[in-house]
This record gives sequence, structure tokens and C-alpha cells, in this order.
Amino acid sequence: MFLRALPYIKATGLILFFGFACLPLVQMTMISFIATLPQPGIEVGSLTFGNYANIVSDPNLRSAFGNSIAYVLINICITVPVAIPAAYAFSRMSFLGDKHLFFAFIAFRITPPVVLTLPIFQLFSALGIVNSVFGIALAHCLFNLPISIWILQGFISAIPKEQDETAFLDGYSRPRFIWTFLLPQIAPGIAVTAFFCFMFSWVEVVFARILTTTNGKPISMAINALFGFQTDIGLVMAVTVASMIPGAVLVFSMRNHLSRGFKVGKL
Amino acid sequence: MKERNNTGWLFVLPAALLLGLVGLIPLMTVINYSFFEIFILDKRFWVGTEWYDQIISTGRFWANFGRSTLFSSIVLAIQIPLGIAIALCIPKRQFWVGLALAGIALPLLVPWNMIPSLWLSLLNPDTGIIGRIMAAFGWSAEWKMSAVQTWAVIIIMDTWHWTSLVVLLCYSALTTIPASYYQAAAIDGASPWQVFRHIQLPKLHYVLLMAVLLRFMDSFMIYTEAFPINAGGPDGATMFLAVDLGEEIKAFNYGPSAARSVLYFLIVLTVAWLFTKAQNKIDAHETKRTT
Repeated sequence: MFLRALPYIKATGLILFFGFACLPLVQMTMISFIATLPQPGIEVGSLTFGNYANIVSDPNLRSAFGNSIAYVLINICITVPVAIPAAYAFSRMSFLGDKHLFFAFIAFRITPPVVLTLPIFQLFSALGIVNSVFGIALAHCLFNLPISIWILQGFISAIPKEQDETAFLDGYSRPRFIWTFLLPQIAPGIAVTAFFCFMFSWVEVVFARILTTTNGKPISMAINALFGFQTDIGLVMAVTVASMIPGAVLVFSMRNHLSRGFKVGKL
Repeated sequence: MKERNNTGWLFVLPAALLLGLVGLIPLMTVINYSFFEIFILDKRFWVGTEWYDQIISTGRFWANFGRSTLFSSIVLAIQIPLGIAIALCIPKRQFWVGLALAGIALPLLVPWNMIPSLWLSLLNPDTGIIGRIMAAFGWSAEWKMSAVQTWAVIIIMDTWHWTSLVVLLCYSALTTIPASYYQAAAIDGASPWQVFRHIQLPKLHYVLLMAVLLRFMDSFMIYTEAFPINAGGPDGATMFLAVDLGEEIKAFNYGPSAARSVLYFLIVLTVAWLFTKAQNKIDAHETKRTT
């Protein structure tokens, strides 16, 4: 009896959770199509595309989208090339202090950004990279790099070790082996890593706030700037919806690889 | 067996240098500041461990610590089992599985500072979906006055935001189980519970450890999402560790906030250490099983 009902219970559970996950998003999308501030020609509370038109016409918001995309891309371009050799080393070699180093990496991943805000701001001011997308991209390496190493080493560990040894017998050096053999094989892994870097970086707020006071504001901060004495909540929601579109497109195009992201990787 | 090879250091060097720059140097600065009274950054006085004494000896820190611990425990107790359950509900390899995964991942993509606004508008008794339903049942809109209800709102919000990550992690581990295991279990007439206990759960060990680590630390140090809901209120009832630190930094109390940061980092180190211990234990257990 229970056994026969099991698939239905599972389907119901899944649908309920799906509804729970989407409910706030539905609310958000609904508000984003409603005029919430009196504007010429549109009554408050009526359906409108005006909020989305405002995003396109506002230069601040447009540049915020550009900044967000720029810093996430820079972050991925720093994180992935640095993480690949490190993941390879953790996966294949045993070296002096490897366990301790991995421990340190984990510790930095779980260090709350708010703990490091002040010195990071000072350090980056001294380096002259505050108020620029490069500063945010660098700061986000704090949590993206450890997680990238962890994901990638899972993918590398899934490749049989014999392959390395054959390549070395054929006279390949380690870096050349990584470049010609390993990279093509872990390509899905690199895509998944890039996706998770995007996901953790795109939505982060603490570093983004302290590192951009005048210039280089990402979307999250541009949204913050919209709150004021008279907040156009419709516009706020429209910007939020728009900010989720790149991620949603990525998730959808990655959907078949996402589940392969966390192979049972262990040190 | 991994080969013993110290050239491994060359491969991890770039990563270590980068984390040294954005992690270690700022951390050293914080430790340094924590021993000084600082009015402006060029003018400071050595005060020794005074800030630490102050923080440890007053009830405020311990009250925050207790609240954060309770919050993390509740969050873990809800999100981990729920995440596993949902991951088990996702069927293997059907064309709409990808779609379901994409939908479940959506909450992870909302900018963090918008999450409280989303939930506040959802709970609005005049315009929000939940708010209007609750108002119809006679729920008062004064939930901000009640500590229990504020807690409930923050916990539900966090569950909404982060359970998806647990689901994604667990589902990815479940897909690595070969179909032959399930076939063998079916031949033996194993019940769904036995399949879960002896086939699926062992595969989840490592991923669950990671999920618990990430969820514990991120909820223990919840900041961006928790503060705007009720500004730490009512009456400090949702003043968590990181929220308190954030307020102190905003007030430019460099010395005390640095000392607080160091204490938090010590907590982080303890948790990371427990994590590696647990990981080694699982590893040892699995080596025993395979040999």
C-alpha cells in the first residue's frame, strides 16, 4: 500500500517544495509589473511595463549591470586558472603540509566577510583598487577559490590515475599533461566551477558594499541606492527580476551538468 | 595511493599567495588592531587584552553566542533533513529533471540584500500573498513585536534561501550511485528505508559533511539577511553574532570590533578543525570498508 503510494508522495513533496521556492519570486514578478509611484500617464496600481523601461533608461542601473557582469567575469578568470593546478596537486600528490593547507583554505571559505571588511578596505585603498570592479573580483576570491578547488579536485579525482602515468611515460611534463589531457576531460567541471563562482559572487553584498562607495557599484548596491524617502518598489522588484535573468539562463543551460558538480571528492 | 611529491607546493602556490593577500594579511591586521585603542588609524594606544576582557566578561557576547547557536541548530535541523528528502524525491534522468533543478536553484540567485525586502513584501498584510492569506485567518500584522514570530520569519526565509543548496549537493551525490546497486537491492526485496539506509546514505556522507559545514557557518554568521527584517529586534531578540559586529563596525569602534572579529575567527578555526577531524574519520571508515 505504502510502496504503491510512494511515487505520488515523492511527486507531491517535490511540487510543494517547488511552489515554496517560487512563491516569493511570483510575488516579486507581480509587483515588478505594477506602477507603484505616481507617474505621468499611469495610474498607481495599474499594470505597466514602465518599470522595465525605467531600467533601460537609467544610466546608473545600466552601468550597474555592466559592473556586475565585469567583476564576476574577472573573478572567474582569476579563480579558475589558479584553482586548477591547486586542485590537481591536492588530488594527485601528497606533499609536506597538504592537510594543513587544505584546512587553512576551508577556514578562509567559512570566515564571514564582515570579519575582514575593515582591513580589506584599507589594504585595497593602499593598492588603489577600491571603487573598481577589480577590487570586488579580488575580494570574492576569498570564498570562491576554496570552493573551486574543492569542486575541481572532485572532478580530477574521478579520472583514473593510470592516465597520468601513461602520459608521463610518453614524455609529457606535468603542466603539458594538464593542458593537453586533463583540461578537455574536466571541461564540465570547469563549467560547474564557473557557475558556482558566479552564484556566490553575483549575490554577495558585504564586500560589494564597502569596496564601492562612489564608483563601480554592482546591481545589489544599485538596488540599495533606490531605497529612499519615496521608494519605487515596483522598480526595485523589476531590477531584482532582471538581475536574476543571467543566473536563470546559466542554471538552465547548465541543468544537466549541475548534478555532476559534487562528485564524491575527498582529500 | 597518492605519490609523495613536494613539487605539489608549486601547484598550490598561486592559490596560497592569493588567499594570503585577501585572507591572511587582513586577518593579521585585525589581530593587530584588536590590542589597540584607536581614535583615528594613525593615532592609537596599546591596551593589551582589554577589549577581549570586556567582550568575554559582559553578557552581551554570550547572549549573542547563545542566540546564534540556537539559530544554527534550528536551521540545520530543518534544512539538512528537508534537503535530503527533496533530493530523494527528484527522479533520476527524466527530461524535466533539469527543469526542476533549475527552478529549485532560483532562490540562490537573488541578491542577498533583496531577500529581506522580498519576504517583507510577501508578508505585507495589504499586498503580500502570504500576508493577505494570514490576515484572512486573523493573524495580526504586528509580528515584529513578537520575538517568536520574528524568529519564525527569519528561519523560514533562511530555509527558503539555502535548502536549495543542500538539495543540489545531495542530488549530485545520489546520481553517482550505479544502477546495479538498486537492481541488487530490488532482487533482495529491500524496503525503501533499507535502500536509503544502506545504499543512499553512505554515498551522502561526504557531501552532507560539506553541506553541514557551509550551512552551519553561514547561518551562524548570518548578517545581510537577518538585520533588515527587524533590525535585531524586538528588544535584541534577533541580535546574532555577526549582526552585532556589523553594528559595531558601523559605529567605527575599531578596537572592540577587531577583538570581536578575532574571537569569531577562533570559532571559525574550531569549526574547520572539527570538520577535518570528521572528514578523516569518514575516510578511515571508507578505506576499511573497501579493503
